[in-house]
Amino acid sequence: MTASFTETIRERVQGIETMPAIPAVFLPLLKLLSSSAEEAKVDEVMRLVSYDNTIAAQCLRVAGSPLFGQAQPPKSIKGAVISLGLRRVETILLTCCLGQAFPAKKWVLDPVVFWRHSLGCAMVCRKFSEKLAAADAEKAYMTGLLHDIGFMVNCMVFSKEFATAMERACREEIPLDEAERATMGFTHCETGQALAERWKLADDVIEVIAHHHAIERSEKAQPLVALVHLSDLLCRMRGLGYGYYERHKVDLIADPAWAILSKEYRDLEGMDLVRFTFELDEAVQEIHALVATVFGSAPART
Amino acid sequence: MTIITQTGTLPLASAESGEAVDPVYRQIRDLVYKVSGIYKAEEKLYLLADGCGRRMKQLGARTPRDYWDQLTSQPGRDGELRQLLNEITIGETCLFRSQPQLDALRKVILPEIVAEKTKQITKRLRIWSAGCSTGEESYTLAMNMLEESERLLKGWTVEILATDLNDRSVETAKAGIYGDYALRSTTEYFRRKYFSVVEEKKLQVRPEVKKLIAFSRLNLQDESRMLFTKGMDLIFCCNVLIYFDGASKSKVISHFFSNLNFGGYFFLGTSESLMKLNDQFHLVHFPGTIAYWKPSFKSGKL
Repeated sequence: MTASFTETIRERVQGIETMPAIPAVFLPLLKLLSSSAEEAKVDEVMRLVSYDNTIAAQCLRVAGSPLFGQAQPPKSIKGAVISLGLRRVETILLTCCLGQAFPAKKWVLDPVVFWRHSLGCAMVCRKFSEKLAAADAEKAYMTGLLHDIGFMVNCMVFSKEFATAMERACREEIPLDEAERATMGFTHCETGQALAERWKLADDVIEVIAHHHAIERSEKAQPLVALVHLSDLLCRMRGLGYGYYERHKVDLIADPAWAILSKEYRDLEGMDLVRFTFELDEAVQEIHALVATVFGSAPART
Repeated sequence: MTIITQTGTLPLASAESGEAVDPVYRQIRDLVYKVSGIYKAEEKLYLLADGCGRRMKQLGARTPRDYWDQLTSQPGRDGELRQLLNEITIGETCLFRSQPQLDALRKVILPEIVAEKTKQITKRLRIWSAGCSTGEESYTLAMNMLEESERLLKGWTVEILATDLNDRSVETAKAGIYGDYALRSTTEYFRRKYFSVVEEKKLQVRPEVKKLIAFSRLNLQDESRMLFTKGMDLIFCCNVLIYFDGASKSKVISHFFSNLNFGGYFFLGTSESLMKLNDQFHLVHFPGTIAYWKPSFKSGKL
């Protein structure tokens, strides 16, 4: 990417912060999630949630979903923290905030489709990392949720250019990042990175956003980037993609990301990928339902 | 939902009645998967429960737990499992059963094979429907290949070998006469183009479609016949291997591997898995479907 692209992206992303739609809870919550698990404070989370009734209500609905492993929906945020753990409640809150974080207009990518992909990827990342007995399943969830945030930046500040890319991807049935590169000269990875840096997200989260289509560029967080990369591909192959047919053959096990992960996690070798895929299919319906609840207020494409 | 369950057991609900399903069915689902490779997704668990219900009636088993005991204890457990597999795969046979499979075939696989074979003098595509039953899959493939005969497959010869162990199935297949149930997924376009009306509510496949297919009786465990069925580009074997024990299954699969050309593909049923029975095939994902790939010679991935 040329220097002038980088400059343009940075300039336009600067403007995003001043947009009014971001819930007040959002940025403090991101900060909380970037701190280490030991520093996490229940009171702080409770205080944040108390500012926003809508988000608190959505949070309880999401926390009650079978996708989050609960048979009974929690009655209060505190109850949710007790049964699900603080970290998970934080990531659920983040999920709810994101649904409201961006302005309604100028959606190029259908928001429902976009959120299904992001939430689906978050779920797969978490489940995947649980299968591998990886340290931080909630971190995996969070990075899965945020990995494509650059598409939102595209919608907001490069909407005309991105519309061309989207149109080409649908017409030629090619991966969206390929179409972005061909028509815009840069992708959602760069625009997402600019926003993530602006928001001062943790380094590994930034690396996932920036390099999930080119894991070899990741310096500090390769296993996490590899995990998100594979989950993203799997979602796109199982009906949680970008809403159009991708003429794409995916060989996950031959993907370099698989080798990176299996070096890190022995359990990967024994994993039954087909069954994992079938289990993802089972979650698709509930992901649709959750997106309708949490992101239902997002207006349709204009 | 298996993909997400982390804490506790979730209530199973029947998709139709909304009533809870006995958790024993989840155990049965896992057993069926382990033995046959057929995976009944959570939201389809009521179908498994229905199948078990019919078997229980026959056997006089009072509770799902009683039935579980019959499925898992000698004597007769192998026979009972076979009966159950019959019950749960019944009605899966129809024309155009899996659109994602057909899309992958026409949009991704055919262009790949055509490009690979472009330098060969004889342009010939060979497909094998192994365990063709009453011919639905074979005719679906033939019609789809005919659709490509003026485009991708212009100047190509397509040969479909359709085999089954059962003589009567082969005879029914040859006749190619189908009623509403088998045609429930066949669009008006295909009905008009490739069928003629034979009697009230019955359609017969036209001769130009039949011309592509050679039907015959074949036992997949007949070593000599298996050795001579070479040079295939695509093999479809849907819900057949589920009845084989592990050793025979492995043997048939390694035959299929050598029956395929380099770059060829092997398809199972949509909820069926090869599990860990073969490490030569590459598991590949296409949108909404899975296949097993024999890597092309030059890809160096063997």
